Amino acid sequence: MSESKKTFVITRFDPDKDEVPKTQEYEIPVHEDWKVLDAINFIKDEVDPTISHRWSCRMAVCGSCGMMVNGEPKLTCKTRLSDYGDRVIVEPLANFPVIRDLVSELDGFMEKFQAVKPWVIRAKEEAGAVSASNPPKSSKGTFVQSAAELAEFKQFSLCINCMLCYAACPVVANEPEFLGPAAIALGHRYNLDSRDQGLDERNEVFRGEGTVFSCSFANECSEVCPKNVDPAAAVNQAKFGAVIDWATSLVLPRPGASKEGGK
Amino acid sequence: MRHFLLRIEPVIWLLFGQGLLIGTMLLTGWVLVVGIGVPLGLIDPAALSFDRAHALGSNIIGRLVLAALIVLPLWKGAHHLRHLSIDFRGAERDVVVAPILYGIATVASLLGVLAVARL
Amino acid sequence: MAGPAHPKAMTPSKPGRTRTAPPQMPASWWSHPRIRTYLLFDATGLVYLLLGLVALRVIWALGAGPEVWDATLASLSSPLYVAFHVIGLVSVIFVGVRFFSFFPKSQPPRIGPAKPPPQPVILAGLYVAWIGVTVLFGLILAGRIF
Repeated sequence: MSESKKTFVITRFDPDKDEVPKTQEYEIPVHEDWKVLDAINFIKDEVDPTISHRWSCRMAVCGSCGMMVNGEPKLTCKTRLSDYGDRVIVEPLANFPVIRDLVSELDGFMEKFQAVKPWVIRAKEEAGAVSASNPPKSSKGTFVQSAAELAEFKQFSLCINCMLCYAACPVVANEPEFLGPAAIALGHRYNLDSRDQGLDERNEVFRGEGTVFSCSFANECSEVCPKNVDPAAAVNQAKFGAVIDWATSLVLPRPGASKEGGK
Repeated sequence: MRHFLLRIEPVIWLLFGQGLLIGTMLLTGWVLVVGIGVPLGLIDPAALSFDRAHALGSNIIGRLVLAALIVLPLWKGAHHLRHLSIDFRGAERDVVVAPILYGIATVASLLGVLAVARL
Repeated sequence: MAGPAHPKAMTPSKPGRTRTAPPQMPASWWSHPRIRTYLLFDATGLVYLLLGLVALRVIWALGAGPEVWDATLASLSSPLYVAFHVIGLVSVIFVGVRFFSFFPKSQPPRIGPAKPPPQPVILAGLYVAWIGVTVLFGLILAGRIF
């Protein structure tokens, strides 16, 4: 197994001591087949145990290990070290407040995430709807969905909430209200779901303070997405939906439409 | 103002989108002939003599095409410049920048409709 | 990462118990090739705005009579105007290529019961329409038809 040396420039920030984040360099031997995450884990295990970073599955499904590698948001467990030179700069995700070292504050994302009501909304609960107290007795009572109906939104349901799209988006960086790529893609995923009836509620959110129209279609979210969700497609389809919603609300005003613009 | 901008966004986005789609398609031929071909003498200027140009522009289809040619690119332009402003630390000044840009586009659009109407 | 992002970017409405460092953007984020293309795409907004205003000036002149029309057309031969229109042509083609590449995936998968055609078909249709409109409109303006 061939070994070489690489220098890692890692952002350090201790909220109890540091005013602003600083960097620290580590030169370590690396294996040819390592991912960036392997190198950071090596540094934490063998060189400097005080480094804080998030990771879990190491197979690009948990979405924990997103960091900036040489200025671009990457899932570090999926990013080959061999694609980089002798100096690799690792920083916490851009556009997020930093809690410590490489760990970002996620609460702001969780607020946007919940704002789009990412669950199946029904106009009213059907008597036969399945719940814990009312388990399915027959095929009647569950929401049957065909393979074709599933295919309409499946792509947008593959998001792993790694937040790389938020770190890549120039609008997120400049407009704190903007709902952002992953949240809009998730809301749109439910709007496309044949079982869902929450279109009006979500369109109110989409046209509210965090408006989908803030998106300027840089397409960066789709470029960096490790799961090929293509959030930019979802956001721009959502704009289409919001325009149709606006046009129909002119003809058929619906209760609550006066609250437009409110969150 | 921010609330007003939020309310008009669907309209702006529609005009902007049509500026990208129809505006681009019309501008390509327009710029090729009127902006480059005739001024450089590559195309016989007789094609754009007043009588012929007026006859082309003053029928109903001509008027619609010319109105689209003037109005739609204005909104594509204003909306993109607004995005550009926001991308450079512009979230706070947007309440001033957006009304100015959309104001220019609105005034020029009204003048454009007037220009086409009086042909 | 040198440049600060908006101080409130991705910040929760209620602050947590830990002090955080403010959000940052990558240093010289605008120098990334993809971002540069995107910013250039947005910057063509200025060219489109001016193209619209020039078209307004030309059509206004058409309504003002033969003398004004001839003088306005003659002014378009100035090097400044020709240079602007060359930039305009490059911008329009650049905008068309980039926008049409994004257009198909922005279409909703279904409007009511109607499904749009597959994405490659939409893209091909856009190019056919673009070339068709340009050839037709160009030939009419150049006096080859009508």
